[in-house]
Amino acid sequence: MGKFWVIFVASISILLPFLCNSFSPETPTDRRVLVLLDDFAVKSSHSSYFNSLKLLGFDLDFKLADDPKIALQRYGQYLYDALILFCPSAERFGGSVDVAAIINFVDSGHDLIIAADVNASDLIREVATECGVDFDEDPSAMVIDHTGYAVSETEGDHTLIASDDFIKSDVIIGSKKIEAPVLFQGIGHSLNPVNSLVLKVLSASPSAYSANPLSKLSTPPSLTGSAISLVSVVQARNNARILITGSLSMFSNRFFRSGVQKSGSSTKYEKSGNEQFLTELSKWIFHERGHLKAVNVKHHKVGETDEPALYRINDELEYLVEIYEWSGTSWEPYVTDDVQVQFYMMSPYVLKTLSNDKKGLYSVSFRVPDVYGVFQFKVEYQKLGYTSLSLSKQIPVRPYRHNEYERFIPTAYPYYGAAFSTVRLLHSPFKLLLYDPDSKNKWQDSSSFLLFIYITSKVWHV
Amino acid sequence: MARTSSSKENAQALFHSLRSAYSATPVNLKIIDLYVGFAVFTALIQVVYMASVGSFPFNSFLSGVLSCVGTAVLAVCLRIQVNKENKEFKDLPPERAFADFVLCNLVLHLVIMNFLG
Repeated sequence: MGKFWVIFVASISILLPFLCNSFSPETPTDRRVLVLLDDFAVKSSHSSYFNSLKLLGFDLDFKLADDPKIALQRYGQYLYDALILFCPSAERFGGSVDVAAIINFVDSGHDLIIAADVNASDLIREVATECGVDFDEDPSAMVIDHTGYAVSETEGDHTLIASDDFIKSDVIIGSKKIEAPVLFQGIGHSLNPVNSLVLKVLSASPSAYSANPLSKLSTPPSLTGSAISLVSVVQARNNARILITGSLSMFSNRFFRSGVQKSGSSTKYEKSGNEQFLTELSKWIFHERGHLKAVNVKHHKVGETDEPALYRINDELEYLVEIYEWSGTSWEPYVTDDVQVQFYMMSPYVLKTLSNDKKGLYSVSFRVPDVYGVFQFKVEYQKLGYTSLSLSKQIPVRPYRHNEYERFIPTAYPYYGAAFSTVRLLHSPFKLLLYDPDSKNKWQDSSSFLLFIYITSKVWHV
Repeated sequence: MARTSSSKENAQALFHSLRSAYSATPVNLKIIDLYVGFAVFTALIQVVYMASVGSFPFNSFLSGVLSCVGTAVLAVCLRIQVNKENKEFKDLPPERAFADFVLCNLVLHLVIMNFLG
């Protein structure tokens, strides 16, 4: 018995790290992160960023992009929850990793951070294109901004940009306002207009353009103004999150520590906004924030507690669902006033906003429409920065039973009278026909039919 | 003026001839006519009533009107079949025609009574 106990404890203690660290619906935060680098020098030159991730509890695994041993999955199980590609010039990945493997990694719900740079390789561009953004095709192009550049000692070529045009979403970039502009130096990208999942988080100013800073501009630049995105995020339909930026140096210690003064502004900040911006954004990417779950979907008739197998038309019912938000450590009640439920059959017959009790319980009561068929309770909640919730529950709605209709309505008495008088007169005047002198007693037997109708109608209904 | 009076006379003459022709109709056909008239009249009253109180128990309204109209149609069919001057149905005995009428009414009113509410 004691031996079994030891084995049990040992096996649990071996399994526990795996049980705790793996990505699961219960703890959606990523834990194991693979970082692919061009050069291990990046590990030290970008150590502030990596350290801030380590402090948040992420387990970083640094590998060279062309390391022949790298693998995202083994025996069908993914080894990592997230992938950081800090290898802008990698022409090919080592091991079994290729573009398809990375896309499959994202398709199975894992997260990705891509940092490109000037002279980004075709491989990185291809990964970015798969995610819905297109880097400037000119390999030596950089984003240049002659009015929004960061002031430095030397005049420079205005490729070091100070941008503060953030996306307006507290969920994505954190509720604390980012005061200082973010330094950016690198390649710009545009969003694929047909891809509605990709969002611009940091966009260039209207005066920016993308061109080679060393050569004279002979043709108009292909990317200009606010169409240029400096940092973009994607939240896929499976809630995988992707960060794409055209600047690897914005993650560097130098940019993190550097002071910043935007041209045309007299305010000089001691520290750029990069650290706050990128750390908060990475938290969002790794599902520390903005991850919702819906549990305990219930519905019942008003005044009852059991969930019926089906409803009748015009029933009053109540729909309840609990929605929680992941705070990074625990599930907190999610409080908002814009969650809606649909009572849906081909199109929504009822669309109601749910009210909540501030503890995560959302409820609404409504009347089943006067239409029967197979309905669904549907909650399709998609809000900027939050994972999408898509709940549906099928429920049939039946018409009234034969004995559930209202009877003897006073308004309908004339109609009853008309129907019964017709039947009644069927019976009596035709009796006169029986005594017609020409055909006396011939229809005598048939009159019993009439009597039969009359009696049947009485028995049936009255 | 002369034209009006002559048309009035014509109308009167037409009415008189119709009436004298109709008085020659056998009594049982006259009873059927009376019944059809009654049924159509009841149907009209119900339509007027519905227009005034609204269509709420619509099933009741439909069954009330259809009871009257349906029976009227069946009675007209019966009248065609038992009319001795109609040679088309001379082989059909009036008993058979009446039995058909009764059977059809039975089916019609089973439906009507179900739908009446």
